Amino acid sequence: MGFELISFTSGLIEGQAVSEVIKCNVYTERFGLRLTQAQAAELVETRSLSLRDNGRIEFGGGVIDKIIKAFCDSPFISAYDYAETLHELIEIFYIYKNETHDLIGDDDLIKFMKTSFDGVCQGSLDLLSGRELYRLAKNLRFGRGGYMDGLLKGQTFSAFDTTGSANFSEDDDADGDSSEENDEEEFYE
Amino acid sequence: MNNSLDKIRVIDRSLLNEEDYFQSLLSEALGKGIINDTDIERLQLECLNLLAEKTNRYNLGVSSSIRVENAQSIMASNMFTIGAALKHCPTPDDAVTTLQSQSINEIYKKGRKRIDLLLLKAKAIQNGLQKRLFPTKNEFYNLTINGAIEGFFKLYNPDFAAHEIHITDGYPAFNPVPRLAGVEFITEYIGALFYENQFCGYFSPESVHRLLSGYNGDYEHLLFNIYEPVLTSAIGCIITGADVYRLDIAKSGAKHLERLLAEMQGSEILKVLRQSAEELARCLECPPSLANYIRNSLPIIANRIETAAQARTLNSVFAVPVLPENAPDITFSFGVKMDNEKYRNVIEEIRQCRLLEDKLAIIKEFIRSLADLEDVLLDADFTAEEMQAVFSLLNMQELAAFLKKHPKQPYLDTADLREPEQFLRQNLHNFISKLPSNQQEIIANFLHRIV
Repeated sequence: MGFELISFTSGLIEGQAVSEVIKCNVYTERFGLRLTQAQAAELVETRSLSLRDNGRIEFGGGVIDKIIKAFCDSPFISAYDYAETLHELIEIFYIYKNETHDLIGDDDLIKFMKTSFDGVCQGSLDLLSGRELYRLAKNLRFGRGGYMDGLLKGQTFSAFDTTGSANFSEDDDADGDSSEENDEEEFYE
Repeated sequence: MNNSLDKIRVIDRSLLNEEDYFQSLLSEALGKGIINDTDIERLQLECLNLLAEKTNRYNLGVSSSIRVENAQSIMASNMFTIGAALKHCPTPDDAVTTLQSQSINEIYKKGRKRIDLLLLKAKAIQNGLQKRLFPTKNEFYNLTINGAIEGFFKLYNPDFAAHEIHITDGYPAFNPVPRLAGVEFITEYIGALFYENQFCGYFSPESVHRLLSGYNGDYEHLLFNIYEPVLTSAIGCIITGADVYRLDIAKSGAKHLERLLAEMQGSEILKVLRQSAEELARCLECPPSLANYIRNSLPIIANRIETAAQARTLNSVFAVPVLPENAPDITFSFGVKMDNEKYRNVIEEIRQCRLLEDKLAIIKEFIRSLADLEDVLLDADFTAEEMQAVFSLLNMQELAAFLKKHPKQPYLDTADLREPEQFLRQNLHNFISKLPSNQQEIIANFLHRIV
């Protein structure tokens, strides 16, 4: 009796998850956003694939409904790209659960994603994944604090920008070490 | 005639794996038809629910997902805890009945309590062991009892990693510890060390030090069991009629044992050992539990004696005590170096010689101190064969003095040395390793005494 018992109930869990996603429509309809049964099932499938690709398992309904409820009021999400954006957000979420070494809870990570997405990223999923979350993960791994202070107060600034204004000029290359080091120094001054 | 009625048992306890007791019990029960697929499905679901609950606690309720390897570890921990509860049932059949009648959550809670009890027991034994720790210079003995086992108690997490052992290569117990996991293994391991420590405690630290020095001069740095030579020697003393407390069978006693045991079969040796061990336990007034531990050690010792007798190396089993501190120290001087101008001429002359014999003749004629000889070996650009020929001119003491100055060291420690010095060391060690074993022993003996 090994770990194969996880797959034993995966069908049951996925069925529950689809109905939970559909229930979110009641909340999101006020923003003009709605998912069909097929789209909900696809989102649950994306979740399963992301979990498998990132070597994780999940119990209970998962985080899809939390992501939907957090992002449905974003000015950068429209009805035509709603489902597509959710697919990408789910994938990004699980990648950065691993990258942050589970040092951040689900709710905090979703809050950070939403604030950055609506703020400095201006609706860009590439910037959210390649810059803001990358830096968040790096800061967490190196034990640097302070990255959530502004977010918890509802401010919208970059993880390294103390002025509150978005500064894209030096930060476009997320892997650029020299610019990053300078940014970090500014952040801690 | 035995009139007691015994229930017929379906599952044989000896077929179950002590490390994975729960899984092996289920597989045996399923094989014998005591439980069916419906039971297995229910147990799987309950295990999954338990895992979900534990995962939530592991994540402190802030994360709904977990890495697969962490989940696997928690699952293994849960299985171990459930197994600990099931092992406590009188028979495996009763354990299966428990699985059928109780929920996994209930069994897990019982297992958790059992682990807590075992942990308390292990800590109590460890405290007793530390309080009466036998004073020995063997560093692995002290490091394992004071460091590694203490470390286990600090690292052990019965909630999420109850099956972990944490100690991988510590001091070995003499009697084999059963294949167990987690705190079950540690309790058995510390128990074995407790008995061995208790037995060594009957002898004075000086007697044991002398005995272990006779066993191996470097025993302080060796990873080996100190109870084995002590018990073997004590039994040897009983057989030869020597004073047990001194652990000194003497050379004559060792020869007597060789004559006595050389022709015996394994079963005969074991019989002799059993008789002597009973006498030893009476003589030392050992408590019954310790006497039982000694009895369990005898088959292993008998086996070693039989093997050694066949190889005619019984002297390695029955060690004769020595006191290294009493051996006289040797102060070795490398002598005075010759005049620089004269030395340059000698080196020049050696370099110009074509034949090895000529080079050796110059060395014999002009070199009068080991300090000069060392300089020549470093400066005269000798080949490996020539250097070996020069070493063959030296006696055992001189070779030991050279070895003291150029000891065997790991490669990393010698990487900074000059190339000629590395070459000299390499050839010196090669030369000594090719000498007959008795000459190597003499050199090693001198080496220990040179200060």
